[in-house]
Amino acid sequence: MNAENVKSQMRKGILEYCILLLLRKEPAYTSDIISKLQDGKLIVVEGTLYPLLTRLKNSGLLGYQWIESTQGPPRKYYQLTAEGELFLGELENSWLELTNTITHIKNI
Amino acid sequence: MKKTLTVNLGGTVYNIDEDAYQLLDQYLSNLRSHFKKEAGSEEIMNDFELRISELFSEKIRLGYAVIDINIVENIITRMGKPEEIFGEEEAAKENAEEPFEAKDSFKGQAEATTTKKKLFRNPDDKIIGGLASGFAAYMGWDATAIRIGLLILLFFTQIVLIPVYIVLWIVIPIAQTATERLEMRGESVTLENIGKTVTNGFEKVTEGVNNYVASDKPRSVIQKFADLFVQIMGVLIKMIFVFLAIILAPILLITFFVFLVITFAMLFGGVSFLNNLMPWVQNYDYMLFTSDARSLVLFAGIGCFLLLGVPVGGALYAIVGRIFDLKPINKTGKWTLFILWMVGLILTIACGTMAWTAYVNGYVI
Repeated sequence: MNAENVKSQMRKGILEYCILLLLRKEPAYTSDIISKLQDGKLIVVEGTLYPLLTRLKNSGLLGYQWIESTQGPPRKYYQLTAEGELFLGELENSWLELTNTITHIKNI
Repeated sequence: MKKTLTVNLGGTVYNIDEDAYQLLDQYLSNLRSHFKKEAGSEEIMNDFELRISELFSEKIRLGYAVIDINIVENIITRMGKPEEIFGEEEAAKENAEEPFEAKDSFKGQAEATTTKKKLFRNPDDKIIGGLASGFAAYMGWDATAIRIGLLILLFFTQIVLIPVYIVLWIVIPIAQTATERLEMRGESVTLENIGKTVTNGFEKVTEGVNNYVASDKPRSVIQKFADLFVQIMGVLIKMIFVFLAIILAPILLITFFVFLVITFAMLFGGVSFLNNLMPWVQNYDYMLFTSDARSLVLFAGIGCFLLLGVPVGGALYAIVGRIFDLKPINKTGKWTLFILWMVGLILTIACGTMAWTAYVNGYVI
């Protein structure tokens, strides 16, 4: 049993949840999402995020629009769809459950 | 001094060094082949290209006139090597699909990365097709031992082994990419093992993998002698192959054209000519798909053409391809040919049976 493996599994498990959380307040550009996730050490390389965002978009949880950039090509800004909000709500519940369980176990 | 190229990446034009271009191209096509099975792979690739384009434009703004290999290397480190991305991807997907069995999928994944071994032909250590050494890598045996075993088998079974070898040669793919080479040996496809693929280019990695495998095996005198013996036998067998190919090529070519001529002859009304060759089917009017004896002959002709023409044509292409360095037939092509050949076989058997029944039933003129 490798501690690193388990830790990375944990991080991967909450990655979608974190992305949805980040996008709840305002639409964001991929690079912003990436830098925020990297701060939290949730992802290591940028490339991980592109397929993930596309997958979330394809399952209807995210939408995006093109916004012109002064510094280069136009950028994709992702935002949460109504379906995404619902999904996020569900995840939020299960996250609460998880944290409750953990605190409970810790206090036994 | 370096040659530069102009590329259009995400709608912006950049000047890029040739080596940097090759690295980037390699990187993008590696990514593309990783994502090709996924829905929306085009979009993902677009995202990658746009992002790289953006990072380039940042550099240009900083005053770089040309994109060099260091910039591309930095960007690749930043974006992640295919293995990093794909590794995380896989796990994410598994988790998404079976959220309650995370423990199981974790276990399965750990096993998959260490023990996954595939049968490939080995391009680095080959005498004829790299089959023996590929098999050796797969089984963990010594290639020379397998080769000597094959030679002994060849001695006893004589001609039988050769078509078997050729069929396996066609069916088993060659290990082309570094990933495949690692899979061939059952090495785990990890960042350390394969990451160099992207940053160092293929050649170096291939060498590295070879050295790595060859260096830790000092060979005894007997083994060296066996190696030498196998090498010599290999050269001999190769010479025989080449010799046969030289003799066979014109024969195959002629056979092929004869079949071509016969088919066209039949298609353009020469059926009656062939009809005369098999006169007994003329009055036989109970057929599976036709009541016309001429059609039977036509179908039989097409069947024979496919049955013999496909292997002959394929062999011819293989020989000509070797000489002129043509691309080998791809998988779809192979399957198409195989299906055509099966159609030919079925047609020939069906028509032959019908003609034979007709003959036996006494429809002889």
